[in-house]
Amino acid sequence: MALVLVKATPLVFAALAGVVCERAGILNIALEGALTAGAFAAVAVSYATGSPLLGLAAGVLAGMLVCGLLGLAATRFGVDQIVAGTGINLLAAGGTAFGLVVVFGQPGASPEVNALGKTGEVALALAAFFCAFALQALLDRTPWGLRLRACGENPQAVRSAGLDPRRIRLLATIAGGALAGLGGVFLALGELDIYSDGMTAGRGFIALAAVIFGRWTPLGAAAAALAFGALSALQFVLQRAGVPSELMQALPYLAALAALTGLAGRARAPAADGVPY
Amino acid sequence: MALAGADPLAGFAALLHGALGGTHQISETLVQTTSLLFPSLAVAFAFRAGLFNIGAEGQLVIGGLCAGLLGAWLTLPGWLAIPLILAAGALGGGLWGGIAGTLRARFAGNEVIATLMLNIIAGLFANYLVVGPLRAPDAAGAETAELPESSWLPALVPDTRLSIALVFGLALAALLAFVFRRTVFGYSLRAAGDAPEAARRAGIDLARTAFVAMTLSGAIAGFGGATIVAGVLHRFNVALSPGYGFIAIAVALVGGLDPLWIVAASFAFGILQSGSLTMQALAHVPKDVVTFVEGLAILGLATRRIVATRSAPA
Repeated sequence: MALVLVKATPLVFAALAGVVCERAGILNIALEGALTAGAFAAVAVSYATGSPLLGLAAGVLAGMLVCGLLGLAATRFGVDQIVAGTGINLLAAGGTAFGLVVVFGQPGASPEVNALGKTGEVALALAAFFCAFALQALLDRTPWGLRLRACGENPQAVRSAGLDPRRIRLLATIAGGALAGLGGVFLALGELDIYSDGMTAGRGFIALAAVIFGRWTPLGAAAAALAFGALSALQFVLQRAGVPSELMQALPYLAALAALTGLAGRARAPAADGVPY
Repeated sequence: MALAGADPLAGFAALLHGALGGTHQISETLVQTTSLLFPSLAVAFAFRAGLFNIGAEGQLVIGGLCAGLLGAWLTLPGWLAIPLILAAGALGGGLWGGIAGTLRARFAGNEVIATLMLNIIAGLFANYLVVGPLRAPDAAGAETAELPESSWLPALVPDTRLSIALVFGLALAALLAFVFRRTVFGYSLRAAGDAPEAARRAGIDLARTAFVAMTLSGAIAGFGGATIVAGVLHRFNVALSPGYGFIAIAVALVGGLDPLWIVAASFAFGILQSGSLTMQALAHVPKDVVTFVEGLAILGLATRRIVATRSAPA
């Protein structure tokens, strides 16, 4: 059970980030990059200052920066969201690999740094689930939530109501980035105490799958992320029973494809998800 | 580069030396050019039709896998085996692209998500087969058995890894340029991409176009994977692609989605790819700088709005 939570927490954070962005109309492919940047920044700052808390703050900032870049590109510069997201993922992958050499003087992985410890790990895991409930309430029950959702369904109507959908979308991606950054922090300073190349291992994409499977709601996405986390925790057990580990790893993605067919109940994306405004 | 404590000029010089410093270097650069050209054409083909195929990576891997499995098993003379192997690659890639195409055409599923998921599934599937049941008994790494030498693509320049795949790639670029500019099919693809509503009213079946475009795009990428197997590695290896399918998006955008410019862009990125290792070795500039630059290129160039506005699934 503990292992399930450890595996699920970064997925929950990233999936919530995905929900916030997509409900505002930004299809955030760059989640993977935000996780990577968050994890790297957290370790780099903890290494430099010796304080894992400052590392946490840096990780959150890095996630906001990465997703904010996507938001800026998509809302101010008219770059296609998908293309921008792909570019940002390459930037984050190249930048962190390069950063390892610059900051730690060695490629591949950082040395061990001060981590958040057991308490911090548990606190972050709890925070992830708290965020799921809070976000659900925020989206469903507050004027902000209504405006954000309106941007994802019909940005023209938001414009007509005298609000600036671009600004709201930008803020939504930055807020999402903070969540994704936390996911990265958990990976690097919660579960482990180092940064290594490729440590996010596609979690940003599993999170996108969780968003679809959770039908674009915070609680649904968090539940899907928890299920995917349980899968990866079970992987070791089932592998010994002869189930190929690749099949287990592929299940979240296969589930997302199945969800796309809409055969398992109609899952509908926000109408203006990924559509530029 | 300066950040890493290395001399930027020396780094740049090393990059150019590694990419263009001699016959061997130039041929390796052209090998990279070829490997990038196919997925880039595939990406451009789909983008032109208004479809975001970010699954060229997975289609390339599946194409290479099919080519590698068939190639290692076939014992036919080369003139018969090579076309079959390349066709197997195109078929595999086309099938993989077709899954995303079907999802979009039949279920209005987002092709971005579909191709993204299919990329990862392709990698895991290939890994499972090659590490597990289909691993060659004598293989050093995770790879299939070697293709018989008669099935290798003939070398363009003796004693290099540069094969006639480059010629195929150039021919394909010319063919695509012709299709886009001069044929009804190419026109209907572009219409579906640029003005879907107008295209629909003009009687173009958008769902069918989406399926056909995704399948053909996948086939082009899969063909590219097969040329890497038959022309460069001579077997399928899970490390077949260092992300060609993703870099291809940068290449396609730099080339303005025009097949002929994409040839030039592939060469430019081929220089980056093949020179980066030399740069790392000689000037101590991490090769990952190149990945970073490729990301910047995508972001910067996409601001020119050369990509048609995304449309809701048909």
